[in-house]
Amino acid sequence: MDAWIELARGPLFRLALLICALGLAFRLGNAAYLLVAAWRRAGDRDLPWRSVAEATARWLFPSQLLTVRPFYSAASFLFHVGILLVPFFLAGHVALLDGILPTWWPTLAPSLADTLTVLSAAALLAVLLARITAAAARALSTFQDVALLVLLLLVVVAGFFAAHPHASPFDARAMLLVHVLSGNLALVLTPFTKLVHCLLVPLTQLLSEVGWHFPAESGRHVAVVLNKENEPV
Amino acid sequence: MAFQCSYYLEPVDTTNLPRRFLDAFAAILAHSNYGAVLDTVARISARCGRCAVTCPVYQASQDPRDIPCVRSELLLRIYRRYFTLAGAVKARAGHPFTLTEEYINTLAEEVYRCTACRRCKLECPLGIDHGLITHLARWILAEVGIVPKALRVATREQLDGKTHNTSAIPAAAMQDTCEFLVEDCRDTYGMKIAFPIDVEGAEYVFFPAVSDYLLEPDTLMGNAAVLTATGASWTIGSHYFDGINYGLFYSDRMLDRIVSKEAEEVRRLKAQKVLIGECGHASRSAKFFIKTFCGGAKAPPVVNIMEYTLQALRAGKLECKPNAIDARVTYHDPCNIARSGWIIDQPREILRAICAEYVDMTPRGRENYCCGGGGGTVSIDELREFRTKIGGATKAEQIRRTGATILVAPCANCKKQLREVCEDHGLDHVQVVGLHDLVLKAIVPPPPMRVEKQDDAQKDE
Repeated sequence: MDAWIELARGPLFRLALLICALGLAFRLGNAAYLLVAAWRRAGDRDLPWRSVAEATARWLFPSQLLTVRPFYSAASFLFHVGILLVPFFLAGHVALLDGILPTWWPTLAPSLADTLTVLSAAALLAVLLARITAAAARALSTFQDVALLVLLLLVVVAGFFAAHPHASPFDARAMLLVHVLSGNLALVLTPFTKLVHCLLVPLTQLLSEVGWHFPAESGRHVAVVLNKENEPV
Repeated sequence: MAFQCSYYLEPVDTTNLPRRFLDAFAAILAHSNYGAVLDTVARISARCGRCAVTCPVYQASQDPRDIPCVRSELLLRIYRRYFTLAGAVKARAGHPFTLTEEYINTLAEEVYRCTACRRCKLECPLGIDHGLITHLARWILAEVGIVPKALRVATREQLDGKTHNTSAIPAAAMQDTCEFLVEDCRDTYGMKIAFPIDVEGAEYVFFPAVSDYLLEPDTLMGNAAVLTATGASWTIGSHYFDGINYGLFYSDRMLDRIVSKEAEEVRRLKAQKVLIGECGHASRSAKFFIKTFCGGAKAPPVVNIMEYTLQALRAGKLECKPNAIDARVTYHDPCNIARSGWIIDQPREILRAICAEYVDMTPRGRENYCCGGGGGTVSIDELREFRTKIGGATKAEQIRRTGATILVAPCANCKKQLREVCEDHGLDHVQVVGLHDLVLKAIVPPPPMRVEKQDDAQKDE
């Protein structure tokens, strides 16, 4: 078991981290490149920077989140806070990164990390149940939407029991192995699934705005390609 | 299976339809900016469903198909399958999704259940603009010949027809109407107004929704009264005088061709600016897309008539009687001018200056609810039941709650829709009017505009 754990949090973790970092760097670079290229092609390059910045800030720090569907939104917010903070700031995680990256940042107090973990798990469970039980939510959910929630829930719950062997109903070493393996999987999946929004979301408001700024020749070029230049309406 | 939607279509050529759809999609992706958007949106779309709560169509129908991200997913699915590497790999690995005629039929039905009001954009945590995706889907469909007949026939007359406008009004008839309005305004309101036609070198060329010439005499008289009273340098071009632009609803190619006609008319008349009448989509298409398609910063600036009127009122060039309107008045924000934050407070300032009792709806402005006829659906008569019972249900409640008897909607489309909404929701006591209909009643004409009593006497004789 220990050998498996060492393998999982040693070489496999480093590999997962590498795939995640390279994948995210590629995605961010690609999105930024497409964004700039689109803007340069636009017939009108004048953008409403202020409203774009306001909308971006509004969703990075969602102060008005609870005005709509308060319970679901609160649950969603809680699990986002947990899964953003705990992976980077838990002392155990920082120790694991030590030697791979310069780890200069502070760590979370263990009690706060525990609280965040429990809240995240509860919130993830609530969101998962909402996805499965509400008819409208089922209609819009894909396999990925449910599977990623289950995966993240597994990471969080297994992590909590690995850190609290006395509370764990299962073997704590096994929990640790599950935690590390599922965590590695989440890292690898991040650039290739909707989890990639963790990095791209600061760009999306701008992107939606640039989307409305069409190239001046777009219509004429499309007509040429489709051989419709002289076609009546 | 015949291709069928709940709106009328001209016969659809279904030969190789999926192939042709994908060719059109590919051509559009290659020459537009949608690819940049789809590449990111197709990856990040989290389908959290928050948009469901903000969409007036879904709120009324409670049918999951009307959830904005469910609708967008229809197009994103095609994009992922046919235009991404992962989609190609999945297809090789036996992933079952294939584009079919039935699927395109479903898409065609769903994208015209969206009123393109873009309210959902405000509440998407990921910043996804479902209105933009609907807009793109409609363009692709148009390139394979799938466009609501009402929109296409009107656009055909505007671009290829003899009259160059969506209502097929000959220029001579438009001029007759203007002369009739001059007489009507003199007789009814005691004011001399003018509609200058083809005056070269004017500051503004005026483009109302052309249907105003048929349906909204008071709005046009109000527009002309303000322009006459303030001594504006303006004109109407007899070669092209229609502000309506259904291209905004179904095809960027048409959008381009239509705004280019406006810019061309301004050039022909050696004028400086485009002045749009009371119409939301006409204003947005001119304001945002003349710059896009007609020369960027060098394109003629676009002004909406309400901006002009407010400026004149503030500068003291226009005098209006306070409290001229004594009924309770409320205001509907047309999505196309309010969602971007462009025109929200201007009309309210004008209304407060002339109404004894002005009340706002909640929510209002940027967060307003669509009238239910947006995205061109109001022009599709066969969709009336959907438009008023579903699309306009939330709006009807909003109107009822204000207790107003006059509802101001500065938009030809919103007005038509709201009249039908009021009719179908038992709000018969509510009168739906344009903003300048009320300004017309409040305006204090400067002396040269007043009709002399002699004139009256002469007329009576």
